Parts: sequence; structure tokens; C-alpha cells
Amino acid sequence: MVSDSTSDIKVHTLANGMTLVFEAMPWLPSVSFTFLLPVGASTDPSGQEGSASVLNDWMYRGAGKLTSQALSDTLDGLGVRRGGGAGKETMSFSASLLSEALPETLNLYADILLRPHLNDEEFSNAKKLAQQELESLADSPTQQLFIKLASQYFASPHGLSGLGSEESLAALTPALLRAQFAERVAPAGAVLSVAGGVSWEALVSQVEALFADWSGTGVPLPGVVLREAHQDHITEETSQVQIGVAFPGVAPGDDAYYTHALALQVLSGGMASRLFTEVREKRNLVYSVAAVARTIRGHGYTLGYAGTTPERAQETMDVLLHELRNIRNGVTAEELERARTGMLSQLVMQGESTGARASALAQDTFLLGKPRTVAWIKEQILSVSLDALNAYLSASAEPDFTILTLGPKPLAEVTSA
Amino acid sequence: MKNPLTFHKTVLSNGLTVIGEHNPLAQSFAAGYFANTGSRDEQPEVAGVSHFLEHMMFKGTSRRTAEDVNLEFDALGANYNAYTNDERTVYYGAVLAERSAKLLDLLSDMMRPALRQDDFDSEKNVILEEIAMYEDRPQFKVFELATERYFNGHPLGNSVLGTTDSIKALTREQMLAYFNARYAPNNLLLAVAGNYDWDAVITQVEDLTASWQQAKTTRVYPQVCAKEGDESLQDTKVKRAHVAVFAPGVSAQDPLRYAASILANVIGDSSGSRLYWALVDKGLVDSAGLSHSSNDGAGSFTGYVSSGPQDIKKVLGIYHQVLQDVQTNGVTQEEWQRAQRKLATSLTLRGETPFGRLMSFGTSYLYTHTYQSVADVVNAVFNSSVEDALVLLQRKPFSKAYSFTLSSESV
Repeated sequence: MVSDSTSDIKVHTLANGMTLVFEAMPWLPSVSFTFLLPVGASTDPSGQEGSASVLNDWMYRGAGKLTSQALSDTLDGLGVRRGGGAGKETMSFSASLLSEALPETLNLYADILLRPHLNDEEFSNAKKLAQQELESLADSPTQQLFIKLASQYFASPHGLSGLGSEESLAALTPALLRAQFAERVAPAGAVLSVAGGVSWEALVSQVEALFADWSGTGVPLPGVVLREAHQDHITEETSQVQIGVAFPGVAPGDDAYYTHALALQVLSGGMASRLFTEVREKRNLVYSVAAVARTIRGHGYTLGYAGTTPERAQETMDVLLHELRNIRNGVTAEELERARTGMLSQLVMQGESTGARASALAQDTFLLGKPRTVAWIKEQILSVSLDALNAYLSASAEPDFTILTLGPKPLAEVTSA
Repeated sequence: MKNPLTFHKTVLSNGLTVIGEHNPLAQSFAAGYFANTGSRDEQPEVAGVSHFLEHMMFKGTSRRTAEDVNLEFDALGANYNAYTNDERTVYYGAVLAERSAKLLDLLSDMMRPALRQDDFDSEKNVILEEIAMYEDRPQFKVFELATERYFNGHPLGNSVLGTTDSIKALTREQMLAYFNARYAPNNLLLAVAGNYDWDAVITQVEDLTASWQQAKTTRVYPQVCAKEGDESLQDTKVKRAHVAVFAPGVSAQDPLRYAASILANVIGDSSGSRLYWALVDKGLVDSAGLSHSSNDGAGSFTGYVSSGPQDIKKVLGIYHQVLQDVQTNGVTQEEWQRAQRKLATSLTLRGETPFGRLMSFGTSYLYTHTYQSVADVVNAVFNSSVEDALVLLQRKPFSKAYSFTLSSESV
């Protein structure tokens, strides 16, 4: 039963458009859930960037019958470990807790989503905290690099930083954000995923009781538009040069999704992967080098990263880009086998954790419209043959790199190979 | 349905202790070698050798090249890595249960590394890059600088990374001598968790480690004469102000360690704590917290706060006030129970996977030589009372607090 636990996913859609997704893990005394709402930086109104993030924080600051501190104390008293925040397309409220505390905790989250106080004093605190977070970026060069790289890569609002800017945060007022709450926070497209040791029947009836009266259509997500690929540099007197690369990948739900994922695993899936081997093991150019896939609705892209001292930066970038291009010449049977084993193994191991499963169920439902079972993903990964993978790679276009570096000096302009 | 967990322990004839927590419902298997060694066990001339050696352990053995090690880990589909801190170095991996024997073979073989000169020379560059990476992270750097100052000559103040100079000067022979002195089987612990066959594990490990020689290993435990008061350093490369705070705590062997963790949670957890309400909630800082670290024979409360440089004096004043208020007036029963509940939930969540369990019970065994199940630790947390906190507070730890500020402006 345990080995095939994940085939048992249940879905229930409320009349108002909210989706409940559930995976039973009855051997565990714990449970995790994620509320995912289609409210993110890409739908922040122009000039009010950072809204989704501030709103997410503000909603936690008092709801239903409880003040900010009373709500926090009650959740702590229930042992609820909380997470979440706002991303490009969604805001999330996630929690992990012991199973017996789930009903009471869901009641509180219904208050947070439907009946937050949104009072002026708490707004001022939430805004100041957002300003602190924005300022703290100055001492986190890698985070800074990726925020700016997104704005270089996307022409659509997906390139906006969820943290906003000094000006946009300054422009936010309680009235503006209350209006946004009324318009944007809605059940249409909202997902609640639950994974762990609780029962489905009780969950469905509680969720119906709590959320059936919630109404609203929300704000549609914008389409993805990319900028033309280009190269840029930010001058900072750092010890290491930060090198970031972005280029198109495969969208979630695409037929080639797992073929592409396996190729990326060959590139960056472990210490025997191409990037780690060529950049770190053979040439000792870096401590960190990686390429990761990112997905948003209808679009997938790849981010490459390396950090190195200035005298090795040019060679590091050259080797990094060479490997990213060279994968199109194909992979070996051994590489595919390792990549496959790695992905399958991660899949099973993540399946043991309630938090990882709840998060995956919510993401899938948001991106694909339905959750994927572990068994289905396994089948997809197993079905990619070496010939199919190499045919896919050789047919793929030469990647158009958008490159951003951060460090004392710019690197040489990259020309296509 | 509850997990029917079983604890196993065998001490091999070569002195290696092997422990396991068996979970027949688990799909995965995790294993880790816990070496009882870290930067506190280094002489100044080899500063950073523990961490550099950790990298070298992945560089191959008499039967494997460096490339083989990486290839095999990946072929096993393993989640694997290693870390070094002031007093332990841990090598670990998690795989699907049917690959347990292969993982044990690889990890055990790695514990007898070849330490080839050319690998040593080239990996030095990677270590230097790692040092440069942390140079750009003042949130990390402030602790490197503050730990050394706070511990005031005590080996717990030694840097884990070492310095660019100490790493450049280090020789392979010095590393080999350190390895021989510290990686004897009697100074290692092998822990396994998840789904396994204990008799098979023991037979295999006995065979793999038969040639390992015991050695006399020692660790010194001088009295900690910690620094007190507030210090700062101006660094124009830094944009914000970052503060590390220390105060005396209790050791990993002290029965009051649970109370110390709960107390630190009341004061400085990332949500709902005293520091959260005084500083983070109001947006005066981007981060403020306090935790308790139990070391071998010593311990400390460790805190961090960061704000704009212009506000840091006021912020640090509030931070100290929160500590003083708790020391003078104690904590409420309600706060205490909330913190107990938070810690108990975190412990249970971490116990969901064999990998999470490996880290918890392996580490605690290293210090106490006793096995603690999730239930044991949760009970210990719930059995700690506010009175235990009063015992800690009567020692007036926060009157002996030390803070170190790294800021773009002079403080």
C-alpha cells in the first residue's frame, strides 16, 4: 500500500471554482497543506509592484475574531509551522502540523483568506517589513542577480520583482491594497492541496462548509512575452563575479516535458553531471555551478548559474555556455540511465514527506489543471528512450542566452557559437 | 497506524559503533558517517583542514577515482552530501531501500581516501572559491568574525573554512596526519535509518572496515572564558548592518538543553516570538532571531539581527532589552507551551523521512551515546518546565551577552 500510495489522489471542485486536492498518507501522524491563489507579482497593478507580497503578509496580521498577535499565538499553540509568500504568479499560504489539529487550523485559514482585518496600523508594519526585505537585497548578490535577470529575460510582467521597488512600495496605501484584496483574492483558480494522515470525507465537508460562500473571479494572468536575448552587467565590488543565464525551456504539460527534464538532469543533476564535472571537478573554477528548470503557466525556462573570482570569470562563463549548447549534440546511454535513476529516486523520496507532496499537488493543479500521481510521472520518465532524447536534442534550436553578470568588471560579449 | 520502529546497535571489533533505526514502512534508506571532528580539533597552522578534508573524501580511494565516486552516487540516484562544523564532519546519502548495500559500500570506502597530491592541489582552488563566496555574504561573515572573538581563544572559536592564507599554506602531509589522528574507527559513528536488514548491514560493514586501525583520539575541553559587551567593525563593502549575538548556554550533554531550546524559541523563533513582535513585526529589521546551540561540553545562545546601518544602534538596544526582560521577569506559561508545541511539531515533521531521522538520532547519539526516538525527544520537550527555564535564567546568561556588528557605517 505504501509503495503505491500516491495513486490515491482525490480532487473536489467547489461551485465557486476553488479546487481541493488530497493525497492520503495514513501512516503519518502529520499533515501539510498549501493554499495557492493566482495572485502574484505578474498581476500587481502598474506602479504598485510588491502589492501581492505586502498583501500576503497583511492578511496574516489579524483575521476573524483574532488580532494579529492572537492569531499568531493560536496557530503556534496548535503547533502550525507556517510558510508561503508571493511569487511571480501565485501567493501561497502553507502549513505543516500534527493531523489532529487540522480542522481547527483550517477554520483559522478560512478567516485569513476570507475575513482578514486589513487594518491601517498593521498595513504600516507590513509595508515597513517589505521595505526592509527589499533593502536587505543589497547584501545578497546572488538573489539580486536573479531578480534582475528575470527583468532582462521577460518583457511581460513576469519579469517584475515580487519585492517591488522603493518607489512602488512607497506608493502603496491601505485603501489601494484593500481594493486589490477585494478584486484579486478570489476562489476562481484557487487551489487547496492537502497531504498526510487525515481522512478525505471529513476534509471535503469542512472545506465545503468554510469556502462554499466565497465568491469572485479574480484577475487573469498575463501572457508570457520574452525580450530579445542580450547581455548585461551590474558593477559591484564583490569578491566573486555572479554569472546568470536565462533561456527558454519547455512549458509544463508539453509532450517533451520529461525528455527535456532528463536532458537538464544530465547537465546538472548531480556531482557527475556535465556542469559540475566540467566547471568544478575538471577545472576547479567554482564552488557553485548549476542549471535549473523554472516553470510558470504556459512557459518553461532554464536558469544557469556560476559564481567565481574575477580572474576566472571569463573562462567559467565560456565553459558554462559551451556545456549548455553542447548538450544538443546528444547524451550517452550511461548519462541517460543515471539521469533517469536520479529523477525516479528523488520522486519516491519526496513522496515520503507531506510538505513536499502538498506543494507538488498545488503546483501541478495550478500549472496543469490537475495533479500528477507519482506513478504517472514515473511512467513518463521511463518512457523516454535514448534515441528519442537525442532526436529531441538535435532538433532543438541553439539556445538564445540572456546573460547577466554582477561583479567588478563586465565580461566579453558572447557571440553565438 | 503507527510506525513500528526498532533501534539497533553493534560495536564492531575495530571500535566502530554502528546504530540503526529500522522502519519497515519506509521506501528509502539513509546512511551517514559521523566523524567526531571539526575545526575545534585543529591547530592554528592547519586552520580549515577539517573542511578541506571533507572535500577530499570525495576524491577517491585505492579502488575508486574521484570521478568514480561522483558517478556511483549519481547512478544510485542518491541524495548525498557532507558538512563540516566546529566539532563534527558528516557524510551522508539517502537511496531507495534496495540500493542500501551499494550506498554502504561507497560511503565506507570513502572513509579511507587516497588523498592524491594532484587532487589536493586542484581542490584547493574550490576551497578558495568557497571562501570568496562567503566573503560576499555578510550574514555569514559576521558569524565567522564574531565566533572567534566571543570564544576568546577557546577552540570553539576556530573558523570552519580557515583563511585564504591558511588554506594556501596547507600541505597534503599535514592533512594526512590530521586524517590519521581523527578518522580512526573509534572516533567515527555509522548511523543508518529506514528500511534495511540489520544482520546484512553489520556483516557488510564489518567486512568493509576490517582493516581500519584504532587510534588514541582526544579533544580538549578548556573552560570557555567568553567575551562580553558590544563590539563592531566597519566594512565599506557591506551595505546593511549585521549583528551576531552570543550568550552562554548549556552543552549537548546537559539535561537542561531542551529547556534552553524552548527558551530560545520563546525569545527568538522566526514567528510569534518576543523578538519577532519587538522587531520584525514592526518592520524595524529584515530579520531577528535567537536559537540555542549545544556543543560538546559547552553551549551558547546564538542570535542574529539585521537592519539599515542608521538604525542598528536603536535595534540592538531593543534586542538587548528583550533579552534582559526575559532574564528579569521570566516567560509565561502560555508562551512556554506554544514554544513546546512548535518544537514538537518540527521534530515530528523532520521524522517523516529516513533522511530526517538519520540526522536527528545520529547527531544526538554522537553526544549522549543513547538512542532517542522522535517520541523520546518530543517527551523530553514536553517534560521541560518553566521552572527549568528559571534555573537557566538565574545564571543571568544575558547579562553576559556579547554582540558583534558588521556595518557599512561606524557604530
